[in-house]
Amino acid sequence: MSGGALRVALAGNPNVGKTSLFNELTGARHKVGNYAGVTVETREGVVAARWHPSRAITIIDLPGTYSLTPMSEDEAVAFRCLHGEVGRVPDLVVLVIDAANLARNLYLAAQLCELGRPLVLALNMMDVAAEAGVPVDAAALARCLGVPVIPTVARTGEGAQALVECISRFEHELWDMSEVRARLLADDVPAPLRGLEPARARWLLAAQAGETLELTGASAGERAALAELGAEQVRALASAQVLARYAEVDRLLAEIGHKAGDRAPAMDRSARIDGVLTHRVWGLLIFLLVMAGLFQSIFSWAEPLMGVIEAGIVWLSGQVKAGLGPGLFTDLLTEGVVAGVGNVLVFVPQIALLFLFIGLLEDTGYMARAAFLIDRLMARVGLHGKAFVPLLSGYACAIPAILGTRTISSFRDRLVTIMMIPFMSCSARLPVYVLLISALFDPEARLGPFSQASLILLLMYALSTVSALAVGAIYKRTILKSPTPPLVLELPPYRLPRVRNTLLQVYDRTADFVRDAGTVILAMTVVLWALLSFPRPPEPAVQLDPIERVSAPDEQRSPIEYSVGGQVGKAMEPLLAPMGQDFRMGIAILGSFAAREVFVGTLGLVYGIEADDEDNVPLRAALKDAREPDGRPRYTPLRALALMVFFVYACQCMSTLAVVRRETRSWRWPALMFVSMTALAYVMAVLVFQVGRALGYS
Amino acid sequence: MPSSLAELRPGARARVTAVEGGGGLMLRLLEMGFVPGTVVALVKVAPFGDPLEFQVRGCHISLRAAEARCILAVPT
Repeated sequence: MSGGALRVALAGNPNVGKTSLFNELTGARHKVGNYAGVTVETREGVVAARWHPSRAITIIDLPGTYSLTPMSEDEAVAFRCLHGEVGRVPDLVVLVIDAANLARNLYLAAQLCELGRPLVLALNMMDVAAEAGVPVDAAALARCLGVPVIPTVARTGEGAQALVECISRFEHELWDMSEVRARLLADDVPAPLRGLEPARARWLLAAQAGETLELTGASAGERAALAELGAEQVRALASAQVLARYAEVDRLLAEIGHKAGDRAPAMDRSARIDGVLTHRVWGLLIFLLVMAGLFQSIFSWAEPLMGVIEAGIVWLSGQVKAGLGPGLFTDLLTEGVVAGVGNVLVFVPQIALLFLFIGLLEDTGYMARAAFLIDRLMARVGLHGKAFVPLLSGYACAIPAILGTRTISSFRDRLVTIMMIPFMSCSARLPVYVLLISALFDPEARLGPFSQASLILLLMYALSTVSALAVGAIYKRTILKSPTPPLVLELPPYRLPRVRNTLLQVYDRTADFVRDAGTVILAMTVVLWALLSFPRPPEPAVQLDPIERVSAPDEQRSPIEYSVGGQVGKAMEPLLAPMGQDFRMGIAILGSFAAREVFVGTLGLVYGIEADDEDNVPLRAALKDAREPDGRPRYTPLRALALMVFFVYACQCMSTLAVVRRETRSWRWPALMFVSMTALAYVMAVLVFQVGRALGYS
Repeated sequence: MPSSLAELRPGARARVTAVEGGGGLMLRLLEMGFVPGTVVALVKVAPFGDPLEFQVRGCHISLRAAEARCILAVPT
């Protein structure tokens, strides 16, 4: 961004139409980034030409927050951005206010006054306020506060022109908020903090009282100054600040003759809707329906799109093969690069659908109700009600689910949720379960009205759910120990979603996944391909005449067994034996690291069967008929069960690891996830096999 | 001895007298508008008995009973 552009920070509470206003002003052309070191999304855009700005204006969209007190990363980043610690100090702050709810919204205005940056209020939702019978006198508010107040209706773009004009000539206006500011800063800060700028001193005091100093980037000197104060003193000062701001808000409201009192006029209609949506019977029923719909959409609506992408990848591979002819380079391109691109793109439909759903649920206000309904159950694990949707999504696919944890504000709780999600039995495990169950369990066996096969499948899902909850509870009480987060959750008024905003967000987040996690997934696919392809088998092995092959079945080895991966699989055999598996399964397990469903294809390669048959009938038969040299069946129901339990727990998915790295900004968490899950998977599989054997199964 | 917001019945109102609890929670509750002197109404209780939905300063805010116990109030 050019140094000459005016920098304007856009601040505001959540659910006040800040995003709509940002999209309206910038024409939805913006770049998305991350603040250094934290996972808070940033958006920056330039005021669009349609508003005819008389100068270049860059708008920085701050996270939506109720206050600047650093209780979470969002608020800490917002303050540091306003203070010029992240990027250049903004020349001007535009605060978006919900006109229908001044009594709470003006609190943030008071905090921004303390900061002392030039301020403009965008008084949004004037239409809603007028309709609810609490019109706001914008001119009076401007006079009393000493800053320009521009009425807007972000939904329709009303007032945007006036706002741009006001921003453009802000230096030439003689607004003066020093009177309000002086009242807010009347209380002196204690001696050790007097050297600091007043707003920063207050901000650090609040952080010290809230024990969130680590979010503030406070210097050693500042920390030392704070340490001189007693805990009780800090607490009293911090709460006095809040009371002073609300006293100022009440004074302003009285001065402009605002008559909302303690009513919630904008909530009248929403309260009636809540009569159904958070009803103890209907509310829960509708909640179940909504969640079932969400789950269904990522589980099956995405399927056809994923099919199209997969078909496209197969077609592209075919074109490359046809164009280049057989050879190593062709294999690298098709099985490494093209397959890798496929491994990235195949997640796009699920990610886009999940974010569409989450976006709509948040925009309408239902997400807060869902958290309200289910919080009691999530609190048992020690999590916030908002963790529910990502966890549920984990049954479809961990990738969108992990990205979906961005709605959880506490980083520790986000981490706990992220560590739980891979345990949820995702859709990629299903082909593995289906292959093993259909190959090795009696399809006719029944238990009451249920077939044995479906009960075993159900058992796997139950095991994964119970394990995820248990693991969450353990993390929450050990390395990610933190109190159950307070549920201080606003139930905002219901509103019609703004589809354009939601679609823009879907696009931003999906593109972000492809760009960032996608590169890692692509690289890992190529590396895995190399491990399973090199070294190549000695020439005669591939030159074998089909007739000769049949005549010498004992000599038959598939090319994959010669590769590094194949050799590792064989070397692992002593480890695999206690869980009832042989080296062939070992190789398939290694191959499944690309994606769990690849297990089926890799096992096909090991058995020399092309896995293009939809139902894998030949592979099923091969598994069923495989015999050890002494004639015993190679695979048994017990061995299959042990392997399925392994798949319930194992983190056999490099895409998940790549996304966890992306979201936690470190390799530490994906490494812990991989090691702990694989170890747990091994122990559980060994346990199943050994207990089964002790009970007399083979 | 004033009671807390957790003891309200749905539809009942009370005036906040003080906010207790750990520093972070106390600040958050104050900032969301539960300041002494404010009149708060309990709107409803979630289906599983927790959390609670309050009306305060023109908003509906949901708190768990554990947090509502930190807000001392006298019925009005």
